[in-house]
Amino acid sequence: MPVSPKKPLEPPPRWPNKLLRRFCAPHLLEEVMGDLHERYYLRVQKVGKMQARKKYWREVMAYMRLSVVKGQSSHFAKPILTDMIKSYLVFSIRKIARNKAFSVINILGLSLGMTCFLLIFLWINDERSKDNFHSNGKNLYNIYQTSKSNGQVNGGYTTPVRFKNGRRYTLLEDLKEAVPEVEYLNFYATGYELPWGHPETFQVGEKIHKLEGSRAGEDFFSMFSYPVIAGNPLTALKDISSVAISRKMAEMFFESPEEAIGKSIRYENVADFVITAVFENVSVQSSLKFDYLINWEYHMGRSDGWASHAILTTIQIAESADAKNVENNINRFLQARLDKDDPVKIELGLQRFSDQYLISNFINGKPQGGRIEYVKIFGLVAIFVLIVACINFMNLATARSVKQAKEVGVRKVAGSSRGYLIAQFIGESVLTTFLSLVLSTVLLLLLLPGFNTLAGKQITLPINEPLYWLGLAGLMLATGFIAGSYPAFFLSSLRPAQILKGTMRFTNTAIWFRKGLVVFQFGISILLLIATIVVSWQTDFVQNTHLGYDRENLIYVRIEGELNNKYAAFKDQLTKMPGIAMVDRSSEAPHAMGFVVDNPINWEGKEENVSVGFKPVSVGFDFLKIMNLEIVDGRGFSREYATDTAAFMVNEIALKQMGIQDPIGKWVSAWDKKGHIIGILKDYHTHSLHEPIKPLIVDVKEDLYFGIIMIRTEAGKTKEALASLEKVCKDINPDYPLAYQFLDQEYEKLYRNEQAISQLSNAFAGLAVMISCLGLLGLAMFSAEQRIKEIGIRKVLGASVSSIVTLFSKDFLQLVSLSFVIAAPIAWFFVNKWLQGFAYQIDLAWWIFAATGLLTLFIALLTVSVQAIKAALSNPVNALRTE
Amino acid sequence: MRRSDLGEFEEVVLLSVAVLTPMAYSVAIAEELEQQTGKTVTTGAVHAALQRLEKKGYVSSEMGEATQERGGRRKRLFKVTVAGSRMLHTVREVRNSLWDRIAPHSLPQININ
Repeated sequence: MPVSPKKPLEPPPRWPNKLLRRFCAPHLLEEVMGDLHERYYLRVQKVGKMQARKKYWREVMAYMRLSVVKGQSSHFAKPILTDMIKSYLVFSIRKIARNKAFSVINILGLSLGMTCFLLIFLWINDERSKDNFHSNGKNLYNIYQTSKSNGQVNGGYTTPVRFKNGRRYTLLEDLKEAVPEVEYLNFYATGYELPWGHPETFQVGEKIHKLEGSRAGEDFFSMFSYPVIAGNPLTALKDISSVAISRKMAEMFFESPEEAIGKSIRYENVADFVITAVFENVSVQSSLKFDYLINWEYHMGRSDGWASHAILTTIQIAESADAKNVENNINRFLQARLDKDDPVKIELGLQRFSDQYLISNFINGKPQGGRIEYVKIFGLVAIFVLIVACINFMNLATARSVKQAKEVGVRKVAGSSRGYLIAQFIGESVLTTFLSLVLSTVLLLLLLPGFNTLAGKQITLPINEPLYWLGLAGLMLATGFIAGSYPAFFLSSLRPAQILKGTMRFTNTAIWFRKGLVVFQFGISILLLIATIVVSWQTDFVQNTHLGYDRENLIYVRIEGELNNKYAAFKDQLTKMPGIAMVDRSSEAPHAMGFVVDNPINWEGKEENVSVGFKPVSVGFDFLKIMNLEIVDGRGFSREYATDTAAFMVNEIALKQMGIQDPIGKWVSAWDKKGHIIGILKDYHTHSLHEPIKPLIVDVKEDLYFGIIMIRTEAGKTKEALASLEKVCKDINPDYPLAYQFLDQEYEKLYRNEQAISQLSNAFAGLAVMISCLGLLGLAMFSAEQRIKEIGIRKVLGASVSSIVTLFSKDFLQLVSLSFVIAAPIAWFFVNKWLQGFAYQIDLAWWIFAATGLLTLFIALLTVSVQAIKAALSNPVNALRTE
Repeated sequence: MRRSDLGEFEEVVLLSVAVLTPMAYSVAIAEELEQQTGKTVTTGAVHAALQRLEKKGYVSSEMGEATQERGGRRKRLFKVTVAGSRMLHTVREVRNSLWDRIAPHSLPQININ
């Protein structure tokens, strides 16, 4: 239809066009739009613009059909997707099979990384699931105490206790009545946890056992989800003589749990309890561990034994209540009951019960930090190790990309789109990841038992959890994607003409990227390595440092039953037995003294408002000798002075803090006992090295009903000594089974956390270095392969093997050195921060870093030079013959 | 009904292609049909019929040249294939033989002007 060129055509409405563009299949768009426009102009001429526009809509709508809309059909024959995937799979498997060395490096590296990741993940999961099994969990809160005195702020899980009219009670006793949001209230105190803890003795008929347990209020089983298998959980701890025991304990004494109910059981030879409930053995997921629970009233009313002051109070608040509000209400309630003139100000706070395991340190009187820090650190380590493993894959893939590029070129020429190529590369790496995952699952199954002993856990693979498999699939996809991303996006962007002409070169960016990855990888390895070395040295240091006393060959038993009344006879008899060198006593085990007091201690010339926290300990006359303590001034306790039962000794720190000159002969008092200072002890460690040495005050009391008896055995005669001890104990204290501890072992237990951490980080750092070296090995292999002609020519021209090896290793060593330069300061920062947690630390000497750097360099050199030497020794003829 | 059968609309479209060859494309066909039947025929409907005919193998197509009134777009030109031609002939024979067998006066009388 001819149209005059002068008058520009008025275009049809835009809106329908847009609609069509969106919906119409691209290969049909041209003819459809053409038809529409032509018809429109025809109509404009025939019936005018108005009519034409109206009809235009109808025309457009007539195209809204399945045969026209997008995705329905295409000019091009479209292979079925599954065929494509099958072809990718075949290609990937062929590629893996062809480059065996690279594939092994890839799969091994990735599976090591994934094993590491999964182990840490399982560990973190286990840590986080602690105390998370209570069905009321989100309404359970621990009450912690923040106390301020003398400008010092302290925090802890303890509840203020008062004495009145001969009765001991906590200030929160009737909290439930006073604060209505508090639905349940429980006090919990352990009998066995340090510092005063110990297993307690139970007896039914002839059967005597020592077990570890606790005391709890009557709400206990209503709040916490510890399943009760026999007896009524609601009334189990109501009566003062009631006791709830575990299945294990029930089976120790009775035929079955059901049979235990209503039976009487003798406790510590001082009371008889009635078993009211049997609960299932406490699971490993619980941070509270107990084999029995004694009624709370009994515990508070007890006058003969030391009941622990550390009372853990847990409340369950109403579903609708706000924790902050409840906290305020509790504080209001508490302040009214506190003595206004007390220099120690107390405030209470709430912490979710399930948080107490991970966040149990107190900073400025508030819970902050604790195991959560290790969880976070290891989480980071897990991710880093996985990244290091991914980097291997990326590096090898990009290094080999010159070879792979040809494939890309051919595929592109044959009409493959970029998306397909990306899918192919990602698919390849997902396949590799899948193989690695299979391998790492096998590794995991093999390693888990060892890991459990290392970490002190009972982790099993959650094979039955669909979520675990889902997670694995996710991990596989994520790892595959990350590892395959660079080759996928880089290679698929290459231009086919260039590749096929053979002019393809690595761009500078690609080379720098690869180098950067190596630096990053080794940086992380070095970081982990330095951290590991420092952690294990510090652990070693705290275990082997001289504490100021001799902790070898020391055994101790708790004073119980007749041991106090017949102490003199016991000591006398035992000292004469074979294998025993010396026997003495102390009110607290000397390696972990936890009791600190200030008010009851006074001294000559004490100024007002001075408060010194002392660790008081009452010992026997031979304590200094058995411990091998040094005296810096004055003399030690001696039986020859009748007045020495009222004498005191203090340590150097105490002297400094008390602020007295010429201490010998000055009077000191502790509670109602007053006496003179007869000597000054050289400072020795009374607790773990986490805390500095505290002021110590020592006196002689050989008639205390609590404490321990220490036995120094003759070196190498532990067996005889134990036999002697058993015999004498049976003679003198027949009602109590013998339980003894080795002091050096108990001391080491104070660092159980650090030990586990140190061993774990050893393993992980080793893994990271191994994975990095695998990557380096791969790169070196690749580089040797690529430069084989260069090496051949150099050799023909007379280069020596050593010069070729040097040439070869130089590049890699430069990278490793650079990563050291970057990683060392970062490592220093973190390690230093960790060491701050110890009052006594190793020096962060420069050579620790230097040694780590050299070690890494050496390992890297070893890895690279194997390849370099192989390349340098090869016959140049082989390399140069072809072409 | 077999897929190769010819619908009524398809038949007229196919005939129009034959009539308009070599310039048979959807706009021309739609215009032609509108003129012949006096009803509105959208290019969309014609397009769909042509697609079906092509699928059945009765027409073949190729892209023609671009024109200004199409906004510089090319048009798709259709030709009747041998199979199409055979089909048209068959249909016509069936109809003719049926017409021939109608006895005189058996159809009601109408005025044809």
